[in-house]
Order: sequence, then C-alpha cells, then structure tokens
Amino acid sequence: MIEFQNVSYAHSKGYGVNNLNMTIDDGDFTFLIGPTGSGKTTLMRLIYFDLLPDTGLVKVNGKLSTKMSHRKIANARKSIGMVFQDYKLLGDRNLFENIALPLHVLGFSANDISTRVEEALELVGLEKKEKHLPSELSGGEQQRACLARAIIKEPDILLADEPTGNLDPVASFELVRLLETIHEMGTTILMASHNYNLIKGRGRPIYELKDGVLRIR
Amino acid sequence: MDKFLYLVTEGIKNTWRHKMTTLTAIFSLFIALYIVGLMATAGNNTHKLLHYLRSKYKIEVFFKQGVSNEEAVGMIHSIKQIDGVRNATIIEKEDAVRIFKDQFGENIVDLLGYNPLPVSAVVNLDRNRRDRLRVEPIIKQIRAIGQVEEIRYQGNLISKIERNYKRVIDQLPYLSGIIILVTVLIIYNTIKLSVYSRRDLIKTLQLIGATRTFIKLPFIIEGVLIGLISVIFVFPALIITVEGLNYIISNFSSLGLKLSFDPFVWIWLFLMVMAITTLGSYRAASGFLK
Repeated sequence: MIEFQNVSYAHSKGYGVNNLNMTIDDGDFTFLIGPTGSGKTTLMRLIYFDLLPDTGLVKVNGKLSTKMSHRKIANARKSIGMVFQDYKLLGDRNLFENIALPLHVLGFSANDISTRVEEALELVGLEKKEKHLPSELSGGEQQRACLARAIIKEPDILLADEPTGNLDPVASFELVRLLETIHEMGTTILMASHNYNLIKGRGRPIYELKDGVLRIR
Repeated sequence: MDKFLYLVTEGIKNTWRHKMTTLTAIFSLFIALYIVGLMATAGNNTHKLLHYLRSKYKIEVFFKQGVSNEEAVGMIHSIKQIDGVRNATIIEKEDAVRIFKDQFGENIVDLLGYNPLPVSAVVNLDRNRRDRLRVEPIIKQIRAIGQVEEIRYQGNLISKIERNYKRVIDQLPYLSGIIILVTVLIIYNTIKLSVYSRRDLIKTLQLIGATRTFIKLPFIIEGVLIGLISVIFVFPALIITVEGLNYIISNFSSLGLKLSFDPFVWIWLFLMVMAITTLGSYRAASGFLK
C-alpha cells in the first residue's frame, strides 16, 4: 500500500509537489499523468525514498518516510521494482548480468538466479538475448529488459516512470500490455506517463499531476 | 556466502570490464610507487656512498726528524684514541725509503748517504658514523700530541662532502614526506576517478536496494587489486634499475661502489599501497553514495 499524507517537496529550483494526498491499495494498477515537469518523477522518487518529503508523510508497505535511514531505505527498495524512461541498464554487462543484479543484492544462489532470469526473460520475450549487451538491443527491448530486472525479485510494488517515453507507439502499447500481465500476477503498479492516449479507456484509476498538485481524473 | 563470493568476483571482473581505466590506474600507481621506491632506495644507499667516500679520506702525519720508530708508535697510539679516527698505521723510516724507491726508482740512502725521511703515519677516519664528520678538530688534536712536523689532508674536499651529506640527511625527511604525500594524492585520485567513471552503477545498485556495503565492497576489492598489480610490477622494476646502475658503475666508472635494494622498501611500499587503495576506494565509493 502506498499512502501520501499532505506531502510537499520542493527542489532547490522551486518546482516539486505540493500538499499531496493519495492512496494506492495493494493490487491496484494506477496511472499517473501530467506534462513534463509536473512532478511525476518527484512523486515516484518520494515512493522509493530517493527523496524524503519536506512536510507530510509517505507510507510504503508500512515503511514511513519519517523513520528512514540508509539501511532502511535499501531494505524498503527490496520490495519495490522500478522501470525508468532511460532504462538505467549497465552498459558493461550483458542482459543476464543486468537482470540478475537484484537477485545478487538479495543473496540468491547461482542456480536460483539462473532459473529466475530465464523465466523473466521469457516473460518479456527476450529469452534468446541474454548474452547481448544493452547497446545491442533496440529501445523497446532495452525497456523490456529493464522491466525484467524490475520484476525478477517479485516486488510488491512496481513503479514505472515514463517507461514508454522513448518508445514508438507499437512498443509502447506492448509494454503497457506486459505491465497488465504482471499486474494480473498480483503486483501493485504505478505507471507515470504524459501520453494520455496510451492509458485512457483501460478502466484503471488515473491521477493527474499538474504544477505539483494532484487530482483524480 | 553466495553474496560475498559474488561481490569478490564482481571486484575482480570490474578490473577486466574496464580494462582501459584499470590499465591507466595501474600505470599511474606504478609510476608513483616506482619513484617512491627509487627515492627510498637512494636514501638507503646514501650512507653506502658516504662510506665509500670516507674510506678514501686520508690524513698523512709526518713526525719531526729525530723521532724514532718507537716514539712514533706511542704517538700513533694517542692518535687512535681521537674521536673520529678509525685506525692509524705507522710508516717507519725504512718503509719510507722503500716507498721512495717504488715511486722514484732511486734509493735515497745511496744518494745522500743517510736517511732524511721522517717517520710518518697514515690516519684513516671513521666511516660508519651517521653524523657529519669534522676533520679540523681531529687535526688540532693530532697537532696537540707534539713532535708533528706536517699534516697533509684533503680538508676542503672532506668538508664539502660532509657538508652536502648533512644537507641531504637534513632534507630527506621533508623530501620523503612531500613525495609520499604526492603519491598518496595520486593514488587516491586515480582510484577516485576510477570509481567516478562508474557512478551510474552505484546509482543503479542503490535504486535496486543494495546496501552501502554491497556497493562499496567490489570497489574496494578492485582498488586493492589495482594496487597489488602495481606494486608487484614495481618490485622487478626497482631491482632491474638497481642492477642496471650497478652495471654502469662497475663498467663505466672508477667508483668501487655496489648499490643494494632492500626488500624492506618493497614491503613498505606494499603496505602503503594496500592501505591507500583500501581507504581510497572506500572513501571514493562513499562519496558517491548519498
């Protein structure tokens, strides 16, 4: 469960989010829309405790922003998967090594890692590309690899920050469908996008963020 | 255990993944350590050079005519007691005649009908003292013994050598300190740059929930590995340099000097580089962790 209570955060240049109140229940698939610079990424970063609110409280899976330390943040992120617009894949490692990374962090054995990576690659349709470097993949494939890395540890929450930002319409549509498949497995998903056409009519709650202020659409 | 093995493997793999960065770091560290090693070896051999030069110092004491060999022995015994004197050897009147004949090919007794050469002594100075050897007080004390006609010695040369030696010994701690400081900074910054070039990895690891230890450990292992490779290469490089210098000295100079390489210098370099790379990588990685 993700809960925002009167959360405000201002970056040094002034923009940010202002007095947000929001609740996302376990198992929800929620969209967050808003133009570039509206505060979507700030909101996402507040959820995975990359930022801590200036005022108010963020509560994620029972973990409170007011009681965070380096160790607790690392611990909280173990149950959160993240997908980024710029993928954040490591260019010096092949796909297998990139996707396996969260499992190494969690201390899985080599055998378990191998099995899980194969399953994740199959789920995102990259089963024959495990030896490829990220630079050898298309944008869509890189984003699916990023998704595989996010879901491999079976997180409770999946945050997707503009995951279709660099993709063509077909790849974008496929990615959203993939997210829906993952959601059906029980994962709570929050996806941020500025492309309203991509997310409308899917029967999911949509939050709109504009100039740091949130409203339900 | 799996996690620890993974981190160790990652540290080793990273040196291979970033070959150019690793090679640059190893090269920088190698140069820095080589210079420090060379300075330390030079410092170790300074005394050896001085020892060699001091062995060449010679004071010749000529006694007055009429001083017998037996009287001279007694005076030489007093000379040997003077601080800074290693030994003194008597050259009896008969020895002086032989030396004269060796040098000029004539027997002076045959020429003059008597032996005009006085009893003399060759005084060698202490080679091993660490402080500056002052020759003037020794000369003064020899004169004070009496019955001394003339004393010959290379006063200016000895003073110059001893003065310069003192200067080097006085400056060495400061010079070593500066060189070590510069080396530490070079090594630290090399490691820091190496970590900086992978700040994206640090950020990604943070985002997927890696603890600070998990992130830092491969960097520390990598840093230590880079230091280890550098210091391993420095060892033969220093030995080759010392042997090369010995070859030049023995074949192209008249110095009867043999430089030596003290393995303790290498052990000291090894410990220094291990400490700096461990601390440097730890600090550099910490710097990129918010």
